[in-house]
Amino acid sequence: MSLGAPSRFAERVLALVVRDPQWRDGVIGDLREEHARQVGRVGASRASRWHLQQALGIAVRYGAHRLLRRGTRPRPWLAAATQEPGTSWRSGLTRDALYAWRAVRQRPGVSGIVVATLALALAANATTFSLMDAIVLRPYRFAGVDRLMAAASQAPSATLFDRETVSPADFREWQRDVKAVEKFAAFEWWDANLSGVENPEQVPGFKVSADFFSVLGVAPSLGRTFLAEEMEPGHHRRVVLGYDLWTRRFASDASIVGRTVRLDGEPYEVVGVAPDGFRIPLGAQTWAPLAHDARYWDERKDGNLTVFGRLAPGASLEAARAELAAVVARQRQQYPDTNGKREVAVTNFSQGMNDPGAGPFIGTWQAAAGLLLLIACANIANLLLARAGERSQEYAVRLALGASRMRLFWQTMLEGLILSAAGVAASIPLAWVGLGLSRGSIPDSVIRFVPGWNFIRLDFRLLAFTALLGTVAMLLFSLVPALQATRAQVSDSLRQSGRSLTPGRRRNWTRNVLATAQVALTLAVLFGSGLMLSAADGAVNGVLGFDKHNLLFAQMNLPERSYESLEKRRRLITEVLASMRAIPAASESGFTTHMPYTGANNSLQFWPEGKDLREDEVRRADYRRISPEYFTVMRIPLLGGRRFADADGDKSMPVAIVSRGLADEYWPGQDAIGRRFRVTPTDDWVTIVGVSGDVVHDWFNRRRDRTVYRPVMQELPLRTVFAIRTIGDPMSLAGDLRRAVAAADPDLPIAELNSLERSMQDRVAGLTFIASSLGVVALIAFVLAMTGIYSLMAYITSQRTQEIGVRMALGATWWQVVRLTTAQAINIAAAGTAIGAVLSFALGRIMQSALFGIVSTSMLQLAALVALLCSAALLAAYFPARRAARLDPTVALRES
Amino acid sequence: MAPIIYLGEFEYAVLLATLHLDDEAYAVPIRELIEERTGRPVARGALYTALDRLEAKGCLRSRMADPTAERGGRSRRYFTVSAAGLKAIKATHGALANMARGLESLLEQS
Repeated sequence: MSLGAPSRFAERVLALVVRDPQWRDGVIGDLREEHARQVGRVGASRASRWHLQQALGIAVRYGAHRLLRRGTRPRPWLAAATQEPGTSWRSGLTRDALYAWRAVRQRPGVSGIVVATLALALAANATTFSLMDAIVLRPYRFAGVDRLMAAASQAPSATLFDRETVSPADFREWQRDVKAVEKFAAFEWWDANLSGVENPEQVPGFKVSADFFSVLGVAPSLGRTFLAEEMEPGHHRRVVLGYDLWTRRFASDASIVGRTVRLDGEPYEVVGVAPDGFRIPLGAQTWAPLAHDARYWDERKDGNLTVFGRLAPGASLEAARAELAAVVARQRQQYPDTNGKREVAVTNFSQGMNDPGAGPFIGTWQAAAGLLLLIACANIANLLLARAGERSQEYAVRLALGASRMRLFWQTMLEGLILSAAGVAASIPLAWVGLGLSRGSIPDSVIRFVPGWNFIRLDFRLLAFTALLGTVAMLLFSLVPALQATRAQVSDSLRQSGRSLTPGRRRNWTRNVLATAQVALTLAVLFGSGLMLSAADGAVNGVLGFDKHNLLFAQMNLPERSYESLEKRRRLITEVLASMRAIPAASESGFTTHMPYTGANNSLQFWPEGKDLREDEVRRADYRRISPEYFTVMRIPLLGGRRFADADGDKSMPVAIVSRGLADEYWPGQDAIGRRFRVTPTDDWVTIVGVSGDVVHDWFNRRRDRTVYRPVMQELPLRTVFAIRTIGDPMSLAGDLRRAVAAADPDLPIAELNSLERSMQDRVAGLTFIASSLGVVALIAFVLAMTGIYSLMAYITSQRTQEIGVRMALGATWWQVVRLTTAQAINIAAAGTAIGAVLSFALGRIMQSALFGIVSTSMLQLAALVALLCSAALLAAYFPARRAARLDPTVALRES
Repeated sequence: MAPIIYLGEFEYAVLLATLHLDDEAYAVPIRELIEERTGRPVARGALYTALDRLEAKGCLRSRMADPTAERGGRSRRYFTVSAAGLKAIKATHGALANMARGLESLLEQS
């Protein structure tokens, strides 16, 4: 077929519809004839398009007509399509739908804004709901997960964030006494160093009780899991490998079972491989039996166990909670020294295993998206109301001609349905993009700790949820104009036609309330997202107490076996530091056990000398071991006393430097230097020789932590961090640092090698992500609210054109007209921001408590936002007002 | 006696156009004539539907002409108004004229 020829497809369709051969020839021939003429008139390609359109048009119309004449069912439906008389409700429905569709198409501007508004709000909700669902609600999706529970020790009146691990003796007693839980399992952290291979690496691992896999109901993809006797020391060198690790490091070799791998320098027999995708807990890739001697299992004071269990058949989570609470209450009585202040938190498995922070954060976002939907709905309702206002005469005419009120109501609702369908359809690609952006914005290093991340996707549930939300929202907001349509007074509207001075008070009241609500909600959303944004900014760029720039660090955990000798640890540290000092671009090099903002901590008790403290009055402090250069490397100021010296070794007096906050807490207004403290009531006394500046150790804990620094050479730790201050880009020295470590010990894997700045950014990536997403939501809300005010003012002004004309004819000035028309916007903005300020304040309070104090309400921020909203509202109202004031009074009066 | 057929407005226009065109009455010029004289657009589908309906009512008769190359080897379908058609036109015209009688002074002025 040459370009510009009549469409063969169209002719084929026509031939299909027009069955009579003579008619067929007539119709197709006629079109051919006219097509030839069209070619001469508009050119070949447009003629071809014309032909297609005409042919399809004829096919629909004529086809319906023929079917009707043959009496084909469903006749009423077709009657409506061909506009032939038919009386059943179905033909009425079709006609109403066609009519509603026409009404939607007749006002493309308003319809477009409604659809776009709805689509944006729905997409925001769909995106957050997907994240919420994947990360918070159902992060674990395997059979029987709903029968699992988690239990954690807790201090009285503690929040969700203060869950503590369980002591071994408590765990054993729970296992024995709690009947509502069929089987308990426990695990503790174990960062395994995989060595004896070409590139040693640190693998996320856990020591688990023998029942770990069976409680979860997970079978290995190869081999077996652990046996009860493997929890005995001596039989415990067994390991189950993660599927990823097995494919990545062992080339999916099925004969791996029974072979030996080296972990922490010791041989472990591989007994099994976990199924694909199994990474519980926290991205684990190796599991070994939790093997300890009897003394360990008698320990009641401290413990590192995370505990979960499978509910007994028929037992509910509540039953387990009640029974555990009773057991823990008995333990409080029985062991007042250790358990006197201990309670228990029993949750479902997802809550128990999840990062407790994720819920409130994503919840905040979800709430913001919900508010956005409300704002969008208010906007849409206002637009629909305005449209209904314009159409009140049309309604009146139709009522006068005998249309039933029910019919008008139904038709208005149908229009809403059509708009919501379009909005839902448009929101799906938007949500898809939103999810893609969400997935892409979190670094892999963080994703590993976010169970459920892989479940973030556009699934059927999400689509159904979005469609439901959009339809319900739209129907609700079509209800107002639809009800108004049924209330239309024929005589009033017709009589008023054009001569109304101000439109019905009632309708304007509704619209003002909607606009005010928009302003109020927008202020709240803006304020909330502002809090999050400043929190995210403060987490990385706030006052931290150290200099994060140009700092490279390498963190590793020395395997206990091969680094049993202190001398070996000392040699590693000195060798690495010496070779780094030889590099000119490394200006300073130091050692510590805990780099700030890397998530690790070592919190121990602090017993100051001369204070008679009871066990439960003793507070904890963060202990770090450092080399003498550490403060210089980190640029942490020394406020008094002296730095550590090389002389502070294991033979000399135990010394420490404490942070100012700690010194002020125990010795306010006095000199802390020379005072002594100890870590347990039976330990040796440690003398304070210096006071350092305060440091923020982690973003979610913005207080200046009490910190105690001890010299590394006085007690050499296994946890090792080398910190290098660099000249220029820190990552350019990463290779040097890696080589320096390899030269000292080729078998030692580096767990993390990163610049401090980047590591900090990764650490707060979740926060930054949510804060910026909230920012986007707030921005959309702001634009919507301003559009709302603008459209409301434009509408009201247009309704008052005649009144304005009269006033101007009577001598009103430009300024008076502007004031008249903006007065209402000022009222809306004032009322909206007043309500919004109260909402914001409440929201700030909620966020402060829910987000554990990382945000702080700022009155200044609130005032700035109020000013911003008011001026934007004024601006939105000004344009219609200016247009009104420029009207020629004679034109205004004549206009109807 | 066959019942008198009253025509719809559009059918009335179609029959009048067919009369006007005489021997040359097929769909293309019929449509053009109605558009020209009434100043209103006419959908092709509506015209074919009306022609079919009028033929079924017995108001129109049709015949096929020889195929032409211009029409891709298709024939034209020519229409003529039947006696029943003519009667229907007269009846409709008469009824409308009756309705308008006495309003001439109002209808003539523009």
